[in-house]
Amino acid sequence: MGKRVTVGQKIGQWMRVLKATAFSTYKEWVAYRSQMAVTIFVGPVFFLTQIFIWRAVYAARTTLNGLTLEQMLTYYGIVAVIGYLTFDSADWDLQWLIRNGSFLTYMLRPVSYCFLALAQKIGHRLLALWVELIPVYLLFIYLFKIDLVPAQPGWAILSLGLSFILVYLTNYCIGITAFWFTKTEGLRRAFLTLRDLSAGMLIPLTFFPKGMQKVLFYLPFQFITYVPTRVFIGHYELAGISLSIPQVVGLQFVATLVMFAVAQLLWYFGIKRFTGVGA
Amino acid sequence: MLISVENLTKVYKTYQRGSSFKETVKSLLVRKPLYVHALKGISFGIAAGELVGFLGPNGAGKSTTLKILTGILYPSSGAVDVMGYTPWRDRKKYVAKIGAVFGQKSQLLWDIPPIDAFYLNKAIYAIPDRVFKRTMENMVELLDLKDVIRKPTRQLSLGERMKCEFIMAMLHQPEIVFLDEPTIGLDVIAKDKIREFILEMNKKGVTFILTTHDLSDIEHLARRVIVVNHGEIVFDDSIATLRRHWGEKKIIAVSTVHPLPDLTLPGITVTKRISDYQAELELDLAVYELNKFIALVNKASTIRDLSVQEPQIEEAIKVLYKK
Amino acid sequence: MRNNIRIYLVGAKTALASRMAYRADFFMSMLIMLLVEMAAPLITIMIYQNGATFPGWTMYEALLIQGVFLLGKGIAAPFFFGIVWNTIERVQNGTFDLLMIKPKSVLFMAIVTGFDAEDLGKLIGGTTLFTLALSRLPMPGLGEWLQFLLLFLLTLAVLFGYGLILAGLGIVWIGNFRVYQIFESITNFGLYPAAIFSKPLQTVITLVIPVAILGSVPATVLLGRPSAGTIGAVGVGLLFLLFSLGFWRWMLKKYTSVGG
Repeated sequence: MGKRVTVGQKIGQWMRVLKATAFSTYKEWVAYRSQMAVTIFVGPVFFLTQIFIWRAVYAARTTLNGLTLEQMLTYYGIVAVIGYLTFDSADWDLQWLIRNGSFLTYMLRPVSYCFLALAQKIGHRLLALWVELIPVYLLFIYLFKIDLVPAQPGWAILSLGLSFILVYLTNYCIGITAFWFTKTEGLRRAFLTLRDLSAGMLIPLTFFPKGMQKVLFYLPFQFITYVPTRVFIGHYELAGISLSIPQVVGLQFVATLVMFAVAQLLWYFGIKRFTGVGA
Repeated sequence: MLISVENLTKVYKTYQRGSSFKETVKSLLVRKPLYVHALKGISFGIAAGELVGFLGPNGAGKSTTLKILTGILYPSSGAVDVMGYTPWRDRKKYVAKIGAVFGQKSQLLWDIPPIDAFYLNKAIYAIPDRVFKRTMENMVELLDLKDVIRKPTRQLSLGERMKCEFIMAMLHQPEIVFLDEPTIGLDVIAKDKIREFILEMNKKGVTFILTTHDLSDIEHLARRVIVVNHGEIVFDDSIATLRRHWGEKKIIAVSTVHPLPDLTLPGITVTKRISDYQAELELDLAVYELNKFIALVNKASTIRDLSVQEPQIEEAIKVLYKK
Repeated sequence: MRNNIRIYLVGAKTALASRMAYRADFFMSMLIMLLVEMAAPLITIMIYQNGATFPGWTMYEALLIQGVFLLGKGIAAPFFFGIVWNTIERVQNGTFDLLMIKPKSVLFMAIVTGFDAEDLGKLIGGTTLFTLALSRLPMPGLGEWLQFLLLFLLTLAVLFGYGLILAGLGIVWIGNFRVYQIFESITNFGLYPAAIFSKPLQTVITLVIPVAILGSVPATVLLGRPSAGTIGAVGVGLLFLLFSLGFWRWMLKKYTSVGG
């Protein structure tokens, strides 16, 4: 007869695992902080290009697709910031573990891999917070004079948090495909580019042809970058549909739940295949 | 001398990085250099046709020496002359005459057959068609790889891959071949085959330099052993001398009909007392001669079974490593 | 020289065969490489389709600059830019030494073993964009073509120089694949007409760090309106190539002093 564990104790256990994993990942990545610091150079340089592109475009007009130059640059600034906050390599990590067999060691542990990898993400993003995010954020505000203060901070933080989890889940799902495909490098790169494009990372989604915008509205990717960016700016619009901030964050929450369900389903089938075929 | 090394030294400069916070901050501004003396002035000579084994604990300077001899690393001071070349200075001309097999670094490509990698080497070393064909077929025959070289590398066993590495290293008929842990991870049959191959090639006049941790490799192959420790050569002589390094000793296992006599005598060290009738011991021949020992035991207890062995070179090595 | 070309061809053939072991994935990867490179042109097209422009530049003129740049990358990536990942990987897992025990220059060996068949997708993409853009523009005269060809050769030489620097960094900055990002961010300026940048920035990307030479400078010559500072850009490009060769040699010397 096993020992009865209360819900409180269970949560306590999970918090301990979270803390321990996050801190160990943090320390791991500290060794690579000089590589991470490359971002402090790369981010602003890329942004510099954007500044000139849009300045040139706006030389002959004041608004484009409903956005002024300032709003356009703010858009890209926020996209960059969201990128640093939500980046992870869960897809690559998982497929690497599966391919070289060390995934086995994770199956032997009494914690779900999904939770463990999420804890890892929290760990290295905590480091990225002060190595990447804050320096670039300050550079954007003081050097490029971009206003990066959210219109409604509460909703913005919530939206960012959901984006954090959503990015993780989508990457995680790509990683799971490694249970079926031996070489997922090509697929992965395609998916990531497609995702970045449909998330609005490269250009605001309202620039796409009206037909495409309708499709993009129903895909989960807009909730990764486009939605949180819009929440930051203060108003949301896509495919002619305009939603209030609480409404669109609510939608984002639903999308995250859906993605979670998809991840669990894929995982179930993936593990079945993994244990069926053998290590 | 084919290879002559004189007073070779190698000093690495690294920086002391403190572990406490204060030290780490200080190290951002002022760094204290730390000098690691990997080689402290080693000298040796190797004649053509020799088969020499290099031994030494990790960090002793073995791989540093190997890297300098293959021209990959240049020393802090000292002279190296191999076939008239200075390895790191005449690298391109020099390496055309040597081959190397690194046990843990493969030169083969994973997804395609080894023979494709052979052809690449053929082009790189500019080996004429007929010479290439002959050399390859010879070695494939010797190593029994006929059915294997056209299968993708990932379908080969470790032993087969290692044999292919040897072919890669020797396609251009080098005079000297450097081996770094060539039998690591192999099963006994594969190890045997490779050792046979090395001996066969050595008979044909190829000089081999072997660094390894596998003492049975040394015992089967090397006639001469150089032991490196802390950047210095602590032993450079034949295997036989190595065995006798700490005196004339024999390892004896004896079982008798009647209970064993008292063996607490000078020159006899009982290593294992299995029962009243069986024991293993070490006999120091300088103190107690073998025939006298046999006579003693036989007279007292009637020998049922007796085995006399050379001591393992492992013990000698351990002593040298500890110095 | 002939022998070296043969070695390169064997190396390329070997790399291709190796990659073709996973045939389906190979063709898909090539296609993906092609599409991934199309991000910037796609954005440009969308900007123009929404009614905006780069002042003084038609859409196809802007796309031609990107076409030249991508064509350059498309030639560099499969044929010699692979020295970057090749060096970084090999130094990281210790197999860089295997290049050094061959009787050829280490750089040559890195190029030979760095052929990347997958990147041929970039070549297809670059060629497609270049011909597409050019087809919607007035055909350049012979003089313009010759000037373009010469400048384009310099584009390739400068890309090679960038490769040398990144690969050299890979020798001392172990396992840092982020060097690619540094390269991408700096050369990103080359995708757009130099005129859209501020005057000081234009000077930097033309006469200090050779970026404009990757797209703007050769493309504008083909369009019959050469950029200001083209001659300067040529000089800087050549100096850059010399510098990068020296940098590579310097990094190699460091490697042979420490042994990896």
